[in-house]
Amino acid sequence: MSDALIAVTLLLVAACATAAVAQRDPARQALVLSVQGVMLAVLFTVLQAPDVGLSQLAVGSALTPLLIMLCVRKTRRRGRREEDAK
Amino acid sequence: MNGWILAATVELGGGGAAALWGVTTGPTARRVIAQNLTTSAVCPALLLLSQGYGRPAYVDLALLLALLGPVGTLVFARLLSDDLADEGASAWGLTWSAAGLGAVVVLALCVAAGPGRAMVKLLAIGALLIGGNLIASRALAGGFRGVRGG
Repeated sequence: MSDALIAVTLLLVAACATAAVAQRDPARQALVLSVQGVMLAVLFTVLQAPDVGLSQLAVGSALTPLLIMLCVRKTRRRGRREEDAK
Repeated sequence: MNGWILAATVELGGGGAAALWGVTTGPTARRVIAQNLTTSAVCPALLLLSQGYGRPAYVDLALLLALLGPVGTLVFARLLSDDLADEGASAWGLTWSAAGLGAVVVLALCVAAGPGRAMVKLLAIGALLIGGNLIASRALAGGFRGVRGG
């Protein structure tokens, strides 16, 4: 019935995932990854699995980017401190 | 395929492609704005999908996205604040047009749903979506620069 909708969502998810891999900077990768998490949740909804979509939305839109950004900040700070010590 | 699903497809295709293009190119400030606008593009599409499939329970997804999308943007606004302070990330034209899109979709769905509990829920989601979007945009533009800590 809604093959076009499934095709559009699949294409968006695939394009987002490819773009996330192609970025060089981890912070920018986290940005693309959060967009990809939302798109993946829409794909699950379109495939009639809203329960999976709910948990994907909770994890993908806020939690994963938060963890990645905290890690990036911590490693950057440590790198800067070691440079100062040299 | 009925009209609601067609509208959701168009919105998802257009908004998703625009957000993806914005988030993969340009300076960091532009990328964060595009990430913020993903929420306001996808949330109305989820509402339209719930109406198109005839399943009111799917509205919960839009509710969760309207709550958590701005939270994700605030994470980036806080942790990328140095980059954003240099470049300045304000896009009020885009923000208001996205808010208008959300309002139009919510009003159309309210007319379709008729008065009742469903309509109250839709209005609450619309208010959350637009309010969260405005707060996140203000945070990106540096409106809360005085708030520092952690």
